[in-house]
Amino acid sequence: MSDIFFNSQKLSLILRDGLESDKLNQPSVLVLRFKLDMKKNLIVFTVLVLMNLQGYTQTGGHINKYIDATVGVAKYQGTLSLSYVNTWRFGSKQKLGIGLGGRFTSYFAANQYYTTAPAKLTSGNTSPTIIFQDNIQANIDTFLIKSPQVNSVNLSINIDYRLSKKITAGFNIDAIGFSFGGSRTGNYINGASGKMLNATPTPFNILLISDNDKGSLNSEFYIRYFLNEKWGLKVGAQFLFTEYTTETKVQQFPEENDRFRNKSLLFCVGASYKI
Amino acid sequence: MKLLILIAFVIIASCTPQNTTPSVPVTKPTALDTTKAQLLKKGMFIGLDGPTSGTASIYDQAGSKYVLLNPFESHNGPDLKVYISKDINANDYIRLGNLQATSGRQVYSVPSGTTIADFNYVHIWCQAYSVDFARAEVK
Repeated sequence: MSDIFFNSQKLSLILRDGLESDKLNQPSVLVLRFKLDMKKNLIVFTVLVLMNLQGYTQTGGHINKYIDATVGVAKYQGTLSLSYVNTWRFGSKQKLGIGLGGRFTSYFAANQYYTTAPAKLTSGNTSPTIIFQDNIQANIDTFLIKSPQVNSVNLSINIDYRLSKKITAGFNIDAIGFSFGGSRTGNYINGASGKMLNATPTPFNILLISDNDKGSLNSEFYIRYFLNEKWGLKVGAQFLFTEYTTETKVQQFPEENDRFRNKSLLFCVGASYKI
Repeated sequence: MKLLILIAFVIIASCTPQNTTPSVPVTKPTALDTTKAQLLKKGMFIGLDGPTSGTASIYDQAGSKYVLLNPFESHNGPDLKVYISKDINANDYIRLGNLQATSGRQVYSVPSGTTIADFNYVHIWCQAYSVDFARAEVK
């Protein structure tokens, strides 16, 4: 059970048990008690952020809006990402930025190994503690796709910090959205035996914890250098999940599964334009 | 310009050599003794992605099944495996292991419990690139 607390000037997240809403009587405070699962929490969190940041704009806070184009490369892999980000700046020197945006990511690659995706199989359970657990190798099968190509559109969460007038360090991550792309034939490898079968990108994306994630989600660590008032260049690393769902539940042990995930680390460069 | 050089460096650095199959024939002794084994199926290789020639045979020796490539000659490639499959496209297959050499006699064990009657093809399969290098229909 968790509570999320916001006011219009500061955005803070408090997670604790047993908090009673009547202990928080400030008029500008919005308190909600959640007895929902993690997925619902994330959706409500996003809505609350949007509501509170709307209030923030009315108090004269500084806002940056960017359009961003990024190219990622790794061995036999590439991405093209286009994003729009609305960043609200915080602090007396406006160094901290928290933003929401939308990102389109197109991933194209050759000969990529996708592995069993559901946390229940990779880690044995779906609790948040799986982030600290080793994978159960016996449960993980492989699906090799010759030419994967996945497109995704996601809501993104962005955080950045202004290191100097011209340099910003930042992190962003996709939270929820959808994916699309053509059907691909892949090689399902289960020990000595295997099958060739078709798969399509998993249509629904959501960020949860570790292997509980579903679908295709992009994230970046970057440093951005502003060339002038409008234009900036960025360089960093992209960590991208892409996911395919096979036409049948091809994995049978220890239980049926049709979702296979690839985790890619890419070097990325991009350009940003301040609107 | 510096950025372009950096990108070029990353791309070049990411191009590492592929694992290839030894070209030297296998010399170590094998479990299969064709004088004591029963020939079940046999077929000739045809090259699909380059020149490959030779014969694939499936033997039963005291209940154990083996695939013998002899004679055998193939061009090289990355991540070459030996598959046996039920159909021509290897939609349902069993992987016998890495191709031991691009030339010469070689033997592969078939996992126990495999119903050989269902498997009609032997493939040299480039797994990393999903390419059927060569195929022999065995009957």
